[in-house]
Amino acid sequence: MTTVLTRAVARLLLAPVLMVAAAVLVKGYADVGDGFAAGVIAALGVLLQYLAFGRAAVERALPVRRAAQLAVGGLLLALAVAFLPALAGGAPLQHAPPPGDEVVKLGSLELIGAVAFDVGVFALVLGMAVATIGLIAATGDEEEGRT
Amino acid sequence: MRPGEKVPATARELSASAVGAAAVAVAAVAALAVLAVWRSGGGGVDVAWLPSWGARLAFRLDGLGALYGLLATGIGVATFTYATAYLPRHLEHEERPQGEGRRFHALMVLFMVAMVGLATAQDLLVLFVFWDLTAVASYLLIGFDRQHREARLSALMALLVTGVSAVVLLIGILILRAELGTTSIPALLERAQGGRAVTLAGALIAVGALAKSAQVPLHFWLPRAMAAPTPVSAYLHSAAMVAAGVFVLSRLHPLLATSPALLDGLLVVGLVSMAVGGVLALGADHLKRLLAYSTIAQYGYVVTMLGVGGAAGAAAACFYVLAHALAKSALFMTSGAVTEATGGKALSEVGGLARAMPALAVGSGLAAAGLAALPLTIGFFKDELFFKAAAERGPWLAVLAVASAALTFAYITRFWTGIFLGDLRRPARALPGRLVVPVVVLGGLVLVGGVLVGPFAALSEDAAQVTAAAPVAVAAAYHLDLRVENVMALATYALGLVLVAGRPALAGALAGFARLGRRAGPERAYVAALAALNRISNSIHDIEVRDLRARVAAVLVPAGALVGIGVAVTPFEGAYLVGSFSRGDLPLVVVLAACMLAALVVTRLRRHLPLAIALSGVGFTLAVAYALLGAPDVTLVAVLIETLFTLLFVATFALLPRRVLMREAALRPYGSRRFRDPVVGVISGLLVLLVVWAALSRPTPTDASANRQLALAEQAHGKDVVTVILADFRGLDTLVEVTVVLVALLGVAALLRRGKLW
Repeated sequence: MTTVLTRAVARLLLAPVLMVAAAVLVKGYADVGDGFAAGVIAALGVLLQYLAFGRAAVERALPVRRAAQLAVGGLLLALAVAFLPALAGGAPLQHAPPPGDEVVKLGSLELIGAVAFDVGVFALVLGMAVATIGLIAATGDEEEGRT
Repeated sequence: MRPGEKVPATARELSASAVGAAAVAVAAVAALAVLAVWRSGGGGVDVAWLPSWGARLAFRLDGLGALYGLLATGIGVATFTYATAYLPRHLEHEERPQGEGRRFHALMVLFMVAMVGLATAQDLLVLFVFWDLTAVASYLLIGFDRQHREARLSALMALLVTGVSAVVLLIGILILRAELGTTSIPALLERAQGGRAVTLAGALIAVGALAKSAQVPLHFWLPRAMAAPTPVSAYLHSAAMVAAGVFVLSRLHPLLATSPALLDGLLVVGLVSMAVGGVLALGADHLKRLLAYSTIAQYGYVVTMLGVGGAAGAAAACFYVLAHALAKSALFMTSGAVTEATGGKALSEVGGLARAMPALAVGSGLAAAGLAALPLTIGFFKDELFFKAAAERGPWLAVLAVASAALTFAYITRFWTGIFLGDLRRPARALPGRLVVPVVVLGGLVLVGGVLVGPFAALSEDAAQVTAAAPVAVAAAYHLDLRVENVMALATYALGLVLVAGRPALAGALAGFARLGRRAGPERAYVAALAALNRISNSIHDIEVRDLRARVAAVLVPAGALVGIGVAVTPFEGAYLVGSFSRGDLPLVVVLAACMLAALVVTRLRRHLPLAIALSGVGFTLAVAYALLGAPDVTLVAVLIETLFTLLFVATFALLPRRVLMREAALRPYGSRRFRDPVVGVISGLLVLLVVWAALSRPTPTDASANRQLALAEQAHGKDVVTVILADFRGLDTLVEVTVVLVALLGVAALLRRGKLW
């Protein structure tokens, strides 16, 4: 139902799209973009696969059935980043490292608490979007009698 | 399985009985703990809870807490034991799985915990939490037989009457807090010096408490609540739920006593409840309902005594609660056991059971004697103290007290003799020991209290000292002389016997009174109010959900009205400025014009796919406008969201059969809707325009905070201030928002996959 060209482009685009999403995510603190935008970008990449190959093929190739777990995991990560400092006597969402301290760097990547929070948001948004796409696709297949 | 072979107990049955046994054990341990702490002079905990409200999780087991705590746990042991035998048979009658017993026992324990928490709470907010917890547990317990409509309605009635009055109580608490600046009970009692606000708060609290104790005119829920399984009635409706009301009155009595009018009000309510409950009990036929009316009357005594106040009133009230709980619980369990053995639920269906059930007859006979205040039972002293306090108040109250006590004597005599004496109406099956032993034990306690009153008097003395906020001596003893209490007791017995003998002649009048109560009583008002509220709710619901657009209008119209009020009251000066226009703004104007065009197109389209694309056109042109305004983060998100949503729209359309889409697209708005939708849309749009215009016309006060956040972003190791705000400065907001995202996913899954996420 889709042309060879669509499928080829979709296949070729998946890796770059995910790469862009990752870049937007980790560089969000220094440049345009954040976890939310990154999650939507990655979800669009997955959606493209659904459009090009159909649900069954995507479910074979990608771990999309775990999307809901990913969403829950993202929320848990965000909650943990927010409230674990409170257990240690700090304020919720306390800034780590504290202002003025040296930031640990991994290449040009800066490791700060808020980035972990943003990763949680990313996982939640990606999981939510992919799970919704999967649910709609599954419903469509059921109506048409495919399983 | 061969016939006659014993059905093996399933794991669920076993676990239900294990939960029941655990409930008994918990109650026993709790009772011993309360006793031990009380004997050692009391104790408590005090932890910070809501610092900004000044509320603390403060519990203290003082005399009053010990009295009600011991009632909740001690009567708990008896009724929980009874329930372990009653419930399996009950579930069998109702043809329900035995496993449901677990829920029952757990709820009973929850209720007990709530009562102990209530009795020991030293902060009104904490007290209120436990107060509501008892209401919730009571709702679930009264409605335990949920397959019966009667049980469901009764549970709802109990919840509404005690729940709505609990809100009144809460208002009282908040007035006190506003007036005296604290919710800590000791501090409140110290600071309360009377005054109108305190009196008003006291009155509101009293309303809540009186509804909980089923006092007239808010008494009608209690007879209905007899739809509950018998252990619930024996526990909640003798010693716990209904006791909570008079407990709060006792706890806050020094505060209530600052207003003589409040105490007089209590006196009147108590006397009326005594009379109404007593008369209804004398006329009742249904066993449990008779006891429920009796409970209304008996707590009327307590409320009367609290209204009398002073040392004598406090002593009588506290002792009365103790003596009544022992006797009434045993009588409720008796009625359940009798119904279990014979199937008879009313006095007219049973009789002559003394020979078949001698132990039950003796146990409940002692309890009945206690309620009738015969000598050698603890009940004698409850009436002795009651008569003493009444006589001190004045001769008119003494007369009313004797009349009510005679009513009690008469109906309880009728109850016991009607069950155990006379002709055998229905044969009785043998009962398991656990249905009889608790009755005998409680009956025995009633007898012990009549001989060795010391410990009981000491307990109520401690409690009464809290109520009266002064030293109190509970002088319970037998005196073989013609002092006024003894004369009143003798008069009670005589009048009671006359009432018993003359009841057949009064039957018509009693039935007429009960009928009058049904026709014109407060229950009618409750039913009518409920029906009216339901009608209002239904009509609003109909308007709101008739179709999707009506639902949107239901949001837009009230919001528009609020915004309109806001616009109207805001000064117009400087609000609607037209700024200057430079050539550099030309691209922005073009883009916004395109956006407007797309929005207009949306209103004209009928087919679904063009509609979705036109909607995304609105979004994309807005994204371009953001880009021109120099907001790359917002632009990025807008583009991504528009893309995703457009694709999801299209995917959803693909799910619907083509002919459904065509049919929907061909539908024309009919009737009033042709005008309603454009009018709603245009008016709400105009109001939004006015608000945005007015807001943009003013110099933005947020510049300062924006600059501060820009400066702080550096310290937060961030360069993109939007991300820093989202993930750091306003991180909690983001957290709540992403939680909503997950909830939305649950909604989608519920719609498409019946809630299955994976």
